[in-house]
Amino acid sequence: MNAALEFELLKARRAGVFRWGAIVVAVGVPALSIAFFELVRLGGDSPSAAKAATMITDLTLAGLLGTAGQVLSVAILMTVGIAASWSFGREFVDDALPALFAIATPRWSVAAAKFVVLAGWALLTVISMVILTVIGGLLLGLNLDTAAVHTASRIAVAGLLGAALAAPMALVSSWRRGYLPGIVTLLAVVVVTQLLTAVGAGAWFPYAAAALWLGMGGAAAANQVSVIQLLLPLPVAALAVIATLSWWRRAEAR
Amino acid sequence: MSIVTIRAHGIARRFGDEQAVAGVDLEVRAGEIVALVGLNGAGKSTLMRLLLGMLRPDSGTAEVLGRRVVDADRAVWSRVGHLIETPPRYGELTVAESVYSAARLQGWDRRSARVATAAISTDLELDHWLHRATRTLSLGNRQRLGLAMALVHRPDVLVLDEPTNSLDPLGVVRVRELLRIRTGDDGVSVLVSSQHLDEVARMADRILLLHHGRIIGGLDPHGVDVEHQFFQRVLEADRAEPRRR
Repeated sequence: MNAALEFELLKARRAGVFRWGAIVVAVGVPALSIAFFELVRLGGDSPSAAKAATMITDLTLAGLLGTAGQVLSVAILMTVGIAASWSFGREFVDDALPALFAIATPRWSVAAAKFVVLAGWALLTVISMVILTVIGGLLLGLNLDTAAVHTASRIAVAGLLGAALAAPMALVSSWRRGYLPGIVTLLAVVVVTQLLTAVGAGAWFPYAAAALWLGMGGAAAANQVSVIQLLLPLPVAALAVIATLSWWRRAEAR
Repeated sequence: MSIVTIRAHGIARRFGDEQAVAGVDLEVRAGEIVALVGLNGAGKSTLMRLLLGMLRPDSGTAEVLGRRVVDADRAVWSRVGHLIETPPRYGELTVAESVYSAARLQGWDRRSARVATAAISTDLELDHWLHRATRTLSLGNRQRLGLAMALVHRPDVLVLDEPTNSLDPLGVVRVRELLRIRTGDDGVSVLVSSQHLDEVARMADRILLLHHGRIIGGLDPHGVDVEHQFFQRVLEADRAEPRRR
């Protein structure tokens, strides 16, 4: 294995931000979705049940997965965004950057290894979340039909697109030399996404398209999201990765 | 005469209004220990960062092992070890993992990196702490760890910024002996900075005095009173040319 990748994997294995992030997404999202789903299915008359009923109209496994997908669309961006900010920003906060200069392994390859670790971790986390939601649904007695499989693939794709949108946080954390700027940018992005979605301009905003596609703005809005709009996160992530690697290649250790 | 492994020619760097390094010429040869001494803010760390490519010079050139620093590749840097200011702090890693990772990042294979980690840890008396998270180490042991990470791959060139900071007297002697062995037996070149004049007098072959970003002369490490030489030179430099900004 490449030395930079081995180094980054070692750090990620020890990092609470990766461990807790995986638990929040892979376990927390299915647990929360199942709790909401059961509230509606059991038909209570509490305010929480009434609120959940507006989100969940389809009491099948596809409906449960759809609910989980809506929670995932925010959770994955927040979790991977925080992990990316930490992974890149900590090198500055912990005064580790000078040690990455004047060594046989180029700095850009250390940064590339960080992206590989983040991508692999996000992939495992999203797939685990989908599998645990399906298992939860089966335990509730729901059927794994074609619609459920279709929705499961849909939320896996949207989850991975959401994870890709965390790449700009790596750039901001590198450029501003710390993890807080990345996390602040992440919060700002979430707020802007809410505003743009509220005024109906969300589908062209990469951070909103996947959530809308998953039904966050209702079925009508979901059907209007085009393939181009849905895939906008890919060029955003690619540009952020290229800019980050270029920054790491050229930056000074001041 | 042994080959020049580190060379600076007219190297300069400014930060805003502050001329941190102002046209320094410097050579370090294989098998010699050259010490940089100077008051706080004299430019020692900045000069070392310029020599290691951590900063780009405004003017002048730096060469390491015969290659311009701006063009230096994996083959050059794999023969260089350094510790600049604070040791790296990956608090979640153990001492053994940190040193092993340093060797791996210098291009060593896993097995050799493990063997080298054990060897340098013994040399710097880190064995007892090998499996401790580095965040639990004392300042002195963290400094030993930084030195282990700089030395693990047996570099031909060492650039060490105040390497004996926070070390106990035994640690200071141990580092001095280790550097002496590496320079004497392996022909390693060492550029070292320090605030401790008596310490560098014991360790260095040559002492260069850096003041306001310029090398204003050398001190005789075998002279009677190095501290007196130091202040005399600084005073003369300040009288001849008050600090320019």
